[in-house]
Parts: sequence; structure tokens; C-alpha cells
Amino acid sequence: MTRAKGHFEIRDEKRQRVKALVLTGYGLNCDYETDYSLKLAGAESCRIHINEFMENQKPGSKKLLKDYHILIIGGGFSWADDHGAGVIMASKLKRHLGEQIEKFISDGKLILGICNGFQALVNLGLLPGFENNYKERRVALTYNDSGNFIDTWVTLKINQASPSVFTKGELKMELPVRHGEGKFYASDEDIDLLFKNNQVVLQYAGRDGREVNDIWPLNPNGSLKNIAGICDPTGRIFGLMPHPEAFNHYTNHPDWTRKKEALIREGKSSASVDGDGIRIFRNAVKYIADRL
Amino acid sequence: MVSRLEIRLKKELKDPEGASIKRKSREYFGIEVEDIRSIRILTIDSGLDADQLEQIRMEIFTNPVTEESSYLPVASGFDWIIWVGFRPGVRDTAGSTAKEAIEDILGVTFKNNEAVYTSKLYEIRGNIDKHQAAEIASELLANDIIQQWKIYSKIDWDPDKGIGFQIPKVILNHEPTVNFVPLGSDDELKEISLKRNLALQERDIPVIRNYFLREDVRKERKKVGLDLPTDVELEYISQARSDHCNHNTFKGLFRYHDIVTGHRETVDNLFKSCIEDTTLKIKKEKDWIVSVLWDNAGVGRFDDNNYYVITGETHNSPSNMEAYGGSVTGIVGVYRDPMGAGKGSRLILGMYGFCVGPREYRGDLRPHLHPRRLLDGVIEGVRDGGNKSGVPTPFGLVLFDKSYLGKSLVFVTAMGIMPAVIGNESSHKKRTSPGDLIVMSGGRVGKDGIHGVTAASETFTEHTPAGHVQIGDPYTQKKLHDFLLEARNEGLISFITDNGGGGLSSSIGESARFSNGCRVDLAKVPLKYEGLDQWEIWISESQERMTIAVKPEHLDRFMELSSRHAVESTVIGEYNDSGYLRLDYKNKTCAYINMDFLESGFPQWEFDAEWLSAEARGLTEPVLGEPDRHGDIIRDLLSRPNICSRNWISRQYDHEVGGGSVIKPLTGKGWDIPSDSVVIRPLLNSNRGIVVSQALNPFYSEIDTYHMTAVTIDEAVRRTLAVGGDPNHLGGVDNFCWPTIEYHPVNNPDGKYKAAQLVRANQALRDYCPGYGIPLLSGKDSMYIDGNLQGKYGEKHKISGMPTFLFTVCSVIEDVSRCITLDAKFPGDLVYILGETKDELGGSEYYRMMGSVGLNVPKVAAKELLPSYMALFEAVKEGLLSSCHAVCRGGLAVHLAMVAMAGELGLEISCPGIPASTGPDLSRLLYSESAGRFIITVAPDKRERFETLFSGLKTGRVGVVTESPRFCIRDGEDAKVIDEDVRILKDTWKKPFGGLI
Repeated sequence: MTRAKGHFEIRDEKRQRVKALVLTGYGLNCDYETDYSLKLAGAESCRIHINEFMENQKPGSKKLLKDYHILIIGGGFSWADDHGAGVIMASKLKRHLGEQIEKFISDGKLILGICNGFQALVNLGLLPGFENNYKERRVALTYNDSGNFIDTWVTLKINQASPSVFTKGELKMELPVRHGEGKFYASDEDIDLLFKNNQVVLQYAGRDGREVNDIWPLNPNGSLKNIAGICDPTGRIFGLMPHPEAFNHYTNHPDWTRKKEALIREGKSSASVDGDGIRIFRNAVKYIADRL
Repeated sequence: MVSRLEIRLKKELKDPEGASIKRKSREYFGIEVEDIRSIRILTIDSGLDADQLEQIRMEIFTNPVTEESSYLPVASGFDWIIWVGFRPGVRDTAGSTAKEAIEDILGVTFKNNEAVYTSKLYEIRGNIDKHQAAEIASELLANDIIQQWKIYSKIDWDPDKGIGFQIPKVILNHEPTVNFVPLGSDDELKEISLKRNLALQERDIPVIRNYFLREDVRKERKKVGLDLPTDVELEYISQARSDHCNHNTFKGLFRYHDIVTGHRETVDNLFKSCIEDTTLKIKKEKDWIVSVLWDNAGVGRFDDNNYYVITGETHNSPSNMEAYGGSVTGIVGVYRDPMGAGKGSRLILGMYGFCVGPREYRGDLRPHLHPRRLLDGVIEGVRDGGNKSGVPTPFGLVLFDKSYLGKSLVFVTAMGIMPAVIGNESSHKKRTSPGDLIVMSGGRVGKDGIHGVTAASETFTEHTPAGHVQIGDPYTQKKLHDFLLEARNEGLISFITDNGGGGLSSSIGESARFSNGCRVDLAKVPLKYEGLDQWEIWISESQERMTIAVKPEHLDRFMELSSRHAVESTVIGEYNDSGYLRLDYKNKTCAYINMDFLESGFPQWEFDAEWLSAEARGLTEPVLGEPDRHGDIIRDLLSRPNICSRNWISRQYDHEVGGGSVIKPLTGKGWDIPSDSVVIRPLLNSNRGIVVSQALNPFYSEIDTYHMTAVTIDEAVRRTLAVGGDPNHLGGVDNFCWPTIEYHPVNNPDGKYKAAQLVRANQALRDYCPGYGIPLLSGKDSMYIDGNLQGKYGEKHKISGMPTFLFTVCSVIEDVSRCITLDAKFPGDLVYILGETKDELGGSEYYRMMGSVGLNVPKVAAKELLPSYMALFEAVKEGLLSSCHAVCRGGLAVHLAMVAMAGELGLEISCPGIPASTGPDLSRLLYSESAGRFIITVAPDKRERFETLFSGLKTGRVGVVTESPRFCIRDGEDAKVIDEDVRILKDTWKKPFGGLI
């Protein structure tokens, strides 16, 4: 629960120059807390409606992706999600921003898709992005095995060998999931390939962090191989079903009153108020700041 | 050209929707099938060519990893197939987003008569007959009111043709017409009202006739080309005078008579005397109260720069007709109230309450929907409505009782937050001024909700719109919500209110009072389909619409933002100070009514209220000896439907969106015990929190609704305080659901008693709110919770719901890090009970289990309780409490067990320490439901300070938390009367609904 120390402070000034963009509109939500998390991580973040990038704005007022370093597509129910979660958002982004997104990636910038955003990234083909093919749908997030929406906290095992720049130095994290279509699905060959490339970043695990065998609700949706989040081969595009922005404060954690009481008995108090989820945003901001 | 795209999951993937239908078929109807799989259908009525169709099939609508699709029928290898599609005119959100996506990717624009319609096919494999297939179709998959269905056997099925092309297009072929209504006599008008479903009240008819016959009125009407009243006008008056809009019952005159004591009093206007006056008095004393009693929601101060708003609603009747649609409309509808409170607030939280018949009901009565199916439907409706609105739904109550078979209850509550100042003035202020434009934003107008359920008896044709039922569309409303906040922040909104009951007639009628007049052009109102009569446009309850007053100089920017957010906004008129509400349609005036007409001269409703005390009604305490197996009792209590775990519901609701979750609906070591209340941080950069909770205790109504109300207020307060709420800031929302109180010798012979019950409940509000300092920030009264159900022999039974009062209490917490949960946390912690246990088993869960009601209902001595509540708050601030829990339904034994189960630790409790006046009987001590009590655990090193703080208050140290998970209670002789394994207790508590997900 401690705020990251060390070189972060030195680079504060640089971090403030890291510009992050949280998309809003068309049924997306989670934008306030995602924007807040990015600000906590030091970025200059803003919430902008998708149409500001697309529509015929007044001359000079159209927003451009190139003005940002981190693109975040967050949670929600974009276009009501009736044709498969994230499907229409992907179609819209591809048509209107396809080239800008390609440039964004080749410029070495970061894209994070959370929940509905993850669903959009796999439908766009930005994930898994095997062999730099960012246009092919190879994996899917489909209906939870339970057939129902679920809100529960999960424990995630983090693959340290993964190239993901968002999870550097992380072993384990607890975050909430809140979705009805989060079951990770792909062909056996593609699952093997994901593991081989270390593109599997997050897996649902037991509360102690050890692997589980598809036990509900530890694996809340029946994801194959407990996969909860993947990245592209560069590690700069990352999608996950759990919500790091919903763990922005230590009181978000379901055990916080118990942990607090335990610390008091040990004569200690919490060192930091930030939630663990902020570390994902901080890693992203640091990655960009280091390269500015 | 019409094309039909069929999409299905690949065979190797599970079909969770099919699995769920299979389970429900078994559980609801005992029909066993092998397998059910679903197929999505898009019927595309457009001029797209083959290449374009193939492009959208592959690029949008088919996921190559999980799905396969074809423009030819894909069903195969089934025994039965069921097709389910919407009736004409029902909102098909998926159809319109499909059209939007197609237009976008192909760069085409659909013509006016082109569209995409969605529907579904279900393949059923299994040995069932046609009757059973039809039962699954009609009772499970389709709701007759909004959907149509067809079944095919494998023999009937034409594999080339499939279902053919089903286009539920609305074709009305009707020229909108204004009708004039003759005013011959009161009787004639009454007859016309009946014939036209106008629902004019009999006592209002002379007032209405007199108005339209007045010489001065007729003279003014002539100037605009009107004489006799139009149907638009009468429909408007009927809406405005309805109990729903005007609260005639609560504003009525009650002649109250206590038959035993002979005491008589006249209560003129329950709302004014018990709610309004009480709240205004409290408002003078509490500077945190910002705005009450006039707007869509009450407003309280959150911090120096922000206000919170809160409101409560019910959506009973529609949910009984169509559980899913009714409840989704309920939650999405209540969310428009905070959006339309002050200049508009951002939604931060929603809550639900369901009162339904027993889930496993097997009796002879035939409710429209079996409680199990109804409950599933309302759960799913609130889930989709809440989750898709992007608003957390962290709190809810569910209560089962046979009396709700007649009509089940759906409560929905919403909170929002807004900056304290918008532009240069307080955000709660708003007004319409002459010259302001009337803008309607959001959805379009159709026949939805017109004349409510009376229309259900009309015959359907394949192109008749399914009018009367609204299906809430959270997607459209979420876009509207986001748009309105931006418009508000730029100062573009002068006035805003939502379109709910009564539609435009209500939102414009009421908002025009500020400017004192308006003129609306009904022809400008955007319609879902052509052919609506003028009166229908005016009173339609089509959802997801707000009415906004915009100054002409702000219109361009308002429209620009509206278009950016993909929200439709239309100027439909303007406010003025003419003193008239005037409606035009294509240059002809169709309504012209004095603004003050509805305010004047209408007769008050009157009720006789006759109270018979519980004793006089023959209630007594049961003759019931002391049991000797309390361990069995506690296990049986824990597994009763109104006490056991209902966790499957909470987990379906997103309770964390917004990122401010502090105290969640489920808590404790296993994240599975319901919290006393919930806490969120609505502003993430602040440590302040909002705490909110609700209580519901209709069982005490059987004895006395006065005490039922008092106990419910106290419980909601205690739940709020238990997590750290501030007793100096308690806001209330009263939500009444009452059976019909109008006496009728045959149809409602106990109406006078029910009226007295309502008076007494309101008097309790009047008497108790000042003591607690609770203003009634918002409230809602829903009468008529009765139903006529068919019995075994074809006879009809009138079933009236128990008088039900849901009370919401919210508070502001200065620093959320002080919040407390109910779980016992450390072995060795001391256990205290705060508050006195009395001989009050009347109406308790224990008596109910024993088949009795009893007489000694819990009573609230607020003055005695408040000092301990203040001490509790001090203890919270000093951080003295390790856990805290309010004792509610079930009494001490049940709630001590909750504390143990939540901590997964043992408790060693000794009865003599419990502050009590119950006498020697353990059953009274353990199961009485006396108000004012808490269970608290305290670390040993804080014992001295804690005991000093509570000295002189009714507090007892009763035991200790133990490592070994035994739940152990000892009597005065130190003998164990309960000694149970906490893990087994928890399993027992979870088991009744444990199989549900």
C-alpha cells in the first residue's frame, strides 16, 4: 500500500507532461475513476467524448490521437453491447481512427483496454497482435459460464516474464471484476502461442495468489487457462477484464477494515492511501516519462 | 429488400443463456429438456447489396473466434424451435445500434422506412410435446405484452425458409384528430370519461364542467378558435388530477376515529401535517438541508462545494405485468429524478427493494406471474437498468410474504451529486422565464404508457404498437445523462425536469408555472412512428426524456453538445407569461387552459378512518412455553427466507462502478455477510463519504402501523450509525406502499381500518422525525397494492399487501477511514450490547416461525436512545470500535451469529450481561426485536475508554470473541443454551438460495 518511492519523485515534472486520454460517450462509464487514477499516477489526463475525434468539428477543434501518449478505453456498455461486448465500438474506432491508431502504436505509445475496452481491443484486433498483425480477431471475450453478470474481487497472478510495461515488477494484485462477458476464449493453438510469447499477463488465482483450476468464483467467468489479461508482443497494448481504476484508494478493498484493525493491533497505520490498482497506471506513466 | 442474418455460438462453446433457460424450465414448470441453444437474428429491411451484406456480416456481427453466421437458416438437429421477437413499436435498442453500425461502416444512410429488427431463435433438443414447448415460449421466453412468438416442430420446419421475414413495423394509418367533448351534463361527461378511459374523477367532473361553461372562459377560448373542451384538454386534466401526479390520498381529509377510546380527530392533509410541516421545522434547525419538498429530489449539503440529492420511487403495477420491463423502467426512471433535480446532478448510487410472494409458493392462488419468475424478472431488470447506466447498485432488500402475491412491490432509490454553485447561483435553484425555449431531449414519443394497463384489454393486430408498456433503455439515457452534465456545466440549463408519469403534460404543465404560461407545438415533438393523436403526444410516457428550458442565446451551443453526445433534442415551444397553457398542432390550437385552473376549486378526497387497537382486534401474546433446543431454533431462524443469504442478487449488481466503494453490500472475512449500510466516496479526491441504508418491517403492521413506522425509522438510523454515520446529519426518504383505503362495503370492507393504519403511520413520521432530526428529503406514496387472484375453484380472492413502509436514511461521513464493518475481527475482543432488550416478540420472526403474531410489538423510546447514539458516534470518531452491528429482524441470537459468521470466529456470550427487562425467559432475550440495539466488539486495550464513554447508558459487556469458531451462549446458570459451529451456521444460512447464481 505504499506510494512508490525513488526515481518517481525525480521525474515528477516529466510525468506531468505525460498526456493521457480516457474515452467517454455512447454508454461507456468508469471514466471519472480512470481519469482520477491517471492523475494520481501523475499524468495529465482528460476525459474526451469519442465523437470529438470523429465528427466534423468546427475547424481546428477536432481532437487528434497524436496529441496524447496513453489511450485508455475503459469499462461500460458501449453502444449497449447488444451485438457482442465492444463490437460496435471496435467497428467505429477502426473506421474513424484506424490510421491514427496504427500511427499511435508505431510511435511507441501505450493503449490500455479495461473490461469493455479490452473487449473492444480484441474486436479491433489490436490484441493479441500476433506478428504485428493488429487487424485480425484471434481471441474473444464471451459470455460468462454462469450466464450472469458478476461483481466480485479476484486475485491475479502476474506474469513477470511478460513484456507488458503496465505490470513491471508486479507479482500479484487484487482487483474487482464486473462483467457478464469476460470469458477469455481462443483456439488451443492461439492459447499456446499467447503463453509461448508471454503475452498472458494476468491469470485468475486463489486468494493466496496460487494458480487455481477454473474454480468459480475465483475464476469468475470460466476463462480458458484462467486468463484475465493479455498484452501484444511489444507489451505496450494491454487489455484486462478486472478494474484497476476501481482500486484507487485503500478503502476500495473488501478487507480494508480488517487490515486496518490488524495494523492498529501491531501499532502501525497504513502508509499510503492509494489503492494497488494505481500501480498499473503509474507503470504506464513512468514508461512514457522515461522516454520524454 | 429484406435479409435475415442468423448468428450463433460455435458448437464447441457453451451457451450460458440456453443453460439458464433449461434450468428455469425445470425449476418453473418441471419440464426437462436435453439442451437449448440460442440464435441471434437481425432482420435487415434495407437496400443493401450482397457485398455490403457480406461485409457487415463478417466485419461487425460475427465474431470469427466464437460465432458462425449465415443469411440462410442455421438451425439444425432440434426437436422444437421457438422464435421470439418484439411487437411493433417496442423499443429495439439492439436494432437501432445495429443500424447505426451498418450506416457507419458502409457510409450509407437508411431511408425513413428502412430499419434493422432483432429477434431470437431457440433450438430445443429433448422429448417434450407441443404444449410444453408453448409453455416455455409463452411463460419463459416471451412476454406477451411486448413480444410475439412462434413455435415450429422439426416436422413443420422448412430448412430453406426458416422463420421467414418478420418485420414488426408500426403502421397506424391514422390521421391525428382532435375531438371535442360535449358538456351536456355531469352524467354525460362521466360516461364519456368511462368510454374513453379518461379516468376523470367523479367529484372533479362538476368543477371541470363549470370551468368550460364559464362565460369569461368561453370568450377567451373563442379568440383561439376553441369552444367545447378538447380530448387533449380533458386528458391533460385527468393526468394532472390523478393520484399518481397529485397525491390526492396523502392530501386528503381523514376523519379518524379510535373506536375503543372514542377519540376523534380530523386530519386535514396527511402530507402537509405529517411530512411537510415536520420537515420544514427541521430545516430551520439544520443548515445542511438545501432543498426539500418541491423538486424531483431532495438536496443536502455534501461539503462546502457540493450537494447530494436523493429520491425514492416505486414501480409496482408495471412490474407485476412485466417483471423485467417494469423494473428496468423503474430503476432507469428513478435515475431521471436526480438528473432533473436542481439544474441536474450526476448519478452516484442506486438501491432496490423487492417485496414478493414466497419463491417456492405452491398454493392454490394464481398470480399473473409466479413469485419465482417475477423475482427473477425484477432482479434482472434492475441489474440491466442499473449496470448499463454506469451507476453502482450497492444496497437492496428483499422480503417474501404471501400478502404480496396480490401485487409485488419494487422500490428504487437514487442518489446524485452536483456542484453547489452553477454559474452564479446555487445549483438547486431553477426557474422558467418568459422567452425560454422548451426543449425535449432524449428518446422519441410513441404510444408507450398511455392509459397504463387499461389498454391491455385491447386486441392486437400484427402492426398495433404495444403501447402501454414502457421498456427502460439505459443506453439512451446514459448518453442523455452525460450530455446534460456538460450542458449544465456550461450554464445552458435554466430549468430541467424529467418526463415520467403524465409525460410532457406533467413536465411542461408544472414547469410553466414558474413563467406562468407556455405555448407548445405538438407537431414538433419527434415521434417514433406517425399517426399519434395530439392527446397521445401530450400524455405519452415514453421513457428517457427530459424537458429543459434553454435561453434562446444558449440554443446553438446546447444543440451542438447534444449532437456531439448523439442525443436528439428538439425545440417544441416556449415559456411565456400569458397565464395560459396553450397547445397547437399545425397552426390550430388544441388546448388552452388557465395556468391556475388546476390549482383551484377541486374537491379534496375524503376518507373515514377507524382504528381498532390490536387488543380490540383480539390479538394476544401466544401461549407458548419455553423451548429447550435453542441451537435448533437459531439454525431454523437463519434458514428462513427473510433472514437467510440472498447474496446471489447482490453479486449481479455492479456495486463498484464510480470507483468510490468503501463499505460494500457484502462484507466480512468471506465477503458474504450483508453490511448494515453502504458507503461510497462520490468525489474521489475527497475522503468524505456518503452512507446510506434502508429498512423495511411490514410484519409489525399486523399489530400497529404506528410502531411499525417508528421501528423502521429507528432501524434505518441504526444501520447508518453502525458503519460510522453522523447522527447530526440524517436525511430521510419515506416510501409508502399501502392497500386501498377507500371504504367499499363489498370490495373493500376493511377500508376504514386501512385508512386508519395510514394515518397512524404518518403520525409516527410526524412524532419521530423531529426527535432524530430527520427531514424527509423525498418520498413517494403508492396506493392500491391489492390484487384479485383466482383460486382453486375459479373464485377470485382479493389479496392486499401488508401496509409497507420503506425508509431510507443517508448521512455524510467526514472521513471514510473511520468506517466500521460488522465482522468480529480478533479473538479476545470484548463483546458489548448497547440498548435494552424488552419483552417485545410481537410481530417477530420467532413468533412467525411459531405461527403466531403476538401483541407486544417493539416500541421506540427515541429520547432514551439518542444519547447512546451520540456516544456511539463519539466512539467511532475516537476509533474505539473493532466492529459494530445493528440488531434487527430475528433479534440478538440471529445478529450475534451474523457477527460471528462475518468474522469466521467464535463468540462466547453470557446472557446475564445483556441489558434487558425481559424477565427470566430466554426466548424473549434472544429473539425479541426491540429497537435501539447494537452489537459491538472492542479491543481489550480500549475497554476502559469505551466503558467510560458509555457509562450510565444501557450497555452490557456480554462476552468475548474466540479463536475457536463456536457460537456459544450461556444462561444465568452458566449452562450452554446454544453451542454451534459457526461454519455450520453459515452453511445453514447460505443454503436456502445457495444454488442460485
